[in-house]
Amino acid sequence: MSTSDHTGEDEGGRNALVAEYVLGLLDTNEHKRVGRLIEDDPALRGERDFWISRFGALNREYEDTPVPAHLFNAIEARAFGDVIKARGATSFWDSLMVWRGIAAGALAVAVIAVGFHVFQPAPNASTLTTQLVAALEEEGSNVKFVALYDGAGNVRLTALSGEAVPEKDFELWAIQGGNNPVSMGVIPVNERSAVTVPADVMKGLGEGSVLAITLEAKGGSTDGAPHGPIVAKGAVTRI
Amino acid sequence: MSLAMQPQSQDIADLIARCALRDRVAFKTLYERTSAKLFGVVLRILKDRSEAEEAIQEVYIKIWQRADRYVAGGYSPISWLVAVARNHSLDILRARRPVSADIDAALEVPDSGPSPERAAEDSDERGRIEHCLGTLDPERADAVRGAYLDGYSYDELAARYEVPLNTMRTWLRRSLLRLRECLTQ
Repeated sequence: MSTSDHTGEDEGGRNALVAEYVLGLLDTNEHKRVGRLIEDDPALRGERDFWISRFGALNREYEDTPVPAHLFNAIEARAFGDVIKARGATSFWDSLMVWRGIAAGALAVAVIAVGFHVFQPAPNASTLTTQLVAALEEEGSNVKFVALYDGAGNVRLTALSGEAVPEKDFELWAIQGGNNPVSMGVIPVNERSAVTVPADVMKGLGEGSVLAITLEAKGGSTDGAPHGPIVAKGAVTRI
Repeated sequence: MSLAMQPQSQDIADLIARCALRDRVAFKTLYERTSAKLFGVVLRILKDRSEAEEAIQEVYIKIWQRADRYVAGGYSPISWLVAVARNHSLDILRARRPVSADIDAALEVPDSGPSPERAAEDSDERGRIEHCLGTLDPERADAVRGAYLDGYSYDELAARYEVPLNTMRTWLRRSLLRLRECLTQ
């Protein structure tokens, strides 16, 4: 496609196109194509978020309309139909099935992470045998970390991507077996850092542990339980 | 504008986060708190009650399945939910429409100028978008509203305002650019 004959519109054209995408004005093929471009480009994602947020101010013009009461049962049946049967009503951290699922899914990703090993400070030979690694990422989030246990009580974190969020902090969690997540503290996003592994995490640290990063209020969770969305997660694996 | 979320907004964000962790009680609460709004969205766009009843089920199934994709920061949690409902409704409409052949898109351009500021709380922005829509020609402002709130396509807008399709598109794109300029001032 030639763009040379309307150069004056190019920059605007690009921004208007994202607005058209958000409005839903593009046809099926174009909508999909532009959607992919947006996913791959942080500047375009910012542009998309800008429009969603600004048009969002019009949302109050949508009139609240009660949904017929019987529909919720249908929704529950369809939404939960594909999930392992839970024991009655599940509370927040009761359902550890999700973490077990995460651990299985993340193993494949963790193998790839071995490649990032070269970015880490060279370990000495005696610790090599006890090294553990986890690649932390999540679909729909651009936050990616590699975590490497150095065999000496520390987890070294390297941020591969992700931006700081105003008024928020990223918090690292360890999930082991059937236990509740244990906070490993707030972590910086744009730099390498090292976290000393808490004693209770240390006991169970090994393959099958899961590390997760959530977005929490500034300073991190105050009650020892995660509240924000998971922005990255990954299973620990031995290298 | 403060980036701190209002309490209600924070509650919704928490509920979405809990859905990501497969908390069914949280899902029910989220549904109770938000389904009337989202039903309003699908009903207005689809304009058919039985279609809307089917669509609202699918919207909440998507919310349950995709709760882990909501990342706080870009826009408010309510806006995310409304976007899921709007997009689902628009997908239904779009699937019925013929593919327009003559719409060209210029996206292979590297630079977009300064990136827009993030707004975590959209409700504060209502005055702003109303003000900026007010700077447009009233018909064009109406067309932008119709595209957002009713999900009108270019074809429908062109028919509504009795102008050729390409004219409609030029109108709307220019209006969107002016709107952006006004909103980022």
